[in-house]
Amino acid sequence: MASATEKQETDRVREIGHDEYDPVGTAILIGIYFLILVLLWLFMYFVEFLGNGPTVVGALQPVLLGVGLA
Amino acid sequence: MAMRNAYVDQFPSEARLISAAFWSSFLALAIGGSLGLVQALHRTDYLRFIDSVDYYTVLTAHGVLLAITFTIFFLVGIFTWAVTTSLDRGLEDLRFSWAWYAMMVVGTVLVGVSILGGVVDSIDMQADVLFTFYAPLQAHPAFYVGLVLFVVGTWLAGADWFRTWWAWRGENPDERIPLPTFMTLTTTLFWYLCTLGVALSILVLLLPWSMGIVDSVNPLLSRTLFWYFGHAVVYFWLMPAYMMWYIMLPKLSGGKLFSDPLARVVFVLFLLLSTPTGIHHQYLDPGIAEGYKFIAMTNTMFLLLPSLLTAFTVVASMEHGARQRGGTGYLGWLKALPWRDPVFTGMALAGLMFAAAGFSGMINAGMNINYLVHNTWWIVGHFHLTVGTAVALTFMAAAYWFVPQVTGKQLWNRSLALGQVLLWFVGMTFMSNAMHRSGLFGMPRRTAEPQYQGFNFEPAAGTVGEINAQVALGAALLTIALALFLLNMVMTTIGGESDAIPDNTYAGTLSGPEDAPVVLDNLKLWTAIATVLVVFAYTLPLASIIDAGGLFGPGIEGFQLTIGIDPAIVLESVREVMP
Repeated sequence: MASATEKQETDRVREIGHDEYDPVGTAILIGIYFLILVLLWLFMYFVEFLGNGPTVVGALQPVLLGVGLA
Repeated sequence: MAMRNAYVDQFPSEARLISAAFWSSFLALAIGGSLGLVQALHRTDYLRFIDSVDYYTVLTAHGVLLAITFTIFFLVGIFTWAVTTSLDRGLEDLRFSWAWYAMMVVGTVLVGVSILGGVVDSIDMQADVLFTFYAPLQAHPAFYVGLVLFVVGTWLAGADWFRTWWAWRGENPDERIPLPTFMTLTTTLFWYLCTLGVALSILVLLLPWSMGIVDSVNPLLSRTLFWYFGHAVVYFWLMPAYMMWYIMLPKLSGGKLFSDPLARVVFVLFLLLSTPTGIHHQYLDPGIAEGYKFIAMTNTMFLLLPSLLTAFTVVASMEHGARQRGGTGYLGWLKALPWRDPVFTGMALAGLMFAAAGFSGMINAGMNINYLVHNTWWIVGHFHLTVGTAVALTFMAAAYWFVPQVTGKQLWNRSLALGQVLLWFVGMTFMSNAMHRSGLFGMPRRTAEPQYQGFNFEPAAGTVGEINAQVALGAALLTIALALFLLNMVMTTIGGESDAIPDNTYAGTLSGPEDAPVVLDNLKLWTAIATVLVVFAYTLPLASIIDAGGLFGPGIEGFQLTIGIDPAIVLESVREVMP
């Protein structure tokens, strides 16, 4: 069923078929995205483990003391 | 003059139904979106004109109207379009179709009125239970009944798409399922699977409890059944956005979908993995053993696979279009994309925001790192990138193409539409980054006044004032963008018919269904595997929750926020749990 699929494209200057197409630009963009993810993961180490004391364990009381509930 | 061949010319009756669904969606967007501004200004203390107790009524309305009503009304329109267009046949019985639409409307009205009762004295109801309706927060029975009607309406809509496909298959026994129909059916299947949980939670636990038939509820059981549905529902919103990226973006870019088989694999993976992941929303719930949480985390991490496959396939399809339009170079082809087309630009920016949401989602998914951000404003920042941009901005951009298709009227103002999608992107950049960052220093979500005496948040970078300013500015820009969108939709609809509507088409494929293994179309097989995965992930946790707390819990009575809670009782219960 391809009756509703696109047949004509007005702005097209050339036709690139399956075998001539090599999505190298996509590979670059995805590579950049992975690089950003890796850098953010490294950054997370500083936020999570160096920026804070242990989370959850023993954290409740100081917070409640801080807001004056205990 | 060439014959116009828009959707409304092919399927005039279905076009009216889709149009009605869209307008229901836009109405929910208008109300729910405006309430978002009220919350942003209240929380940040720029402007407080409601009582802080009413904040939770407003928050409930914002969550339910946007996350449930806006998204699902729009997607039933999209899916109806997808099935009828790709099968080239109308729905089997329009009376049945209008019946499910009416059921969804009645459900929404019941839910909306019961929430509104929280701030309107003459309505003797309340539902200040937020989007998640966690027990022991208790709503008026009308809220739960409304939700059930709405969900059953969507079930019937799914049945409508299935029977249309069955009728088509009877006449085309050897054809592959066309891709848009395939996407609709796989999404509907996991929707059936996941909504069973919330239906059980409401019908067995919450509704009888709110009506006084049973006098207690097991909060952990109802929460777990909620999240059994609550994570899959995000894919229910996201799959129609994915559908737009797969079958509209390549066409708008001037190219073809890179791979139909990959698209099918992605949707099969979502059918398999959407539901057995819900416990990752409950990493901090005591009463669920770490091992079950670990299984949920593993399933969640597998979900990165279809999302990254989508990133590749969709970007490769856009690059194909850009190169056919004359684009060259490693990245120079990006300039050849149709950035002046609001439909394209809105969807592309939505996809870009989704890439950022991918990172914060990975943080949420990791059990240990989740502890850092759980219940903070980070989570709110995350889902404003996903449902608030990846989905909402894609839907708004899609509306600029679809509303002319289903009405036969030309978009009122294209430049305004382009400005609108850009403004949404900029507004969300301000608001969401500030929300994420404030979560890192522990600022809580779902809090009317996150300002405390004798305690100051200590951001690692920037200040609380700067973060609040970004949130308020972002929310204001988003509200303006919302108003511009609605203006464009209203003006388009009251405008005259036009002959200049493009044909109702979607993208062709570079690698078509003939390259996809036939087993991908075996919906029974994938549904069976999905069910088995759910049984593995949920049987033991649910059994252990019921074993520990009983089906109806240990004498848990309901809290009704608007009716008032004595602060002394709250303080006392906090002291009870303190060491």
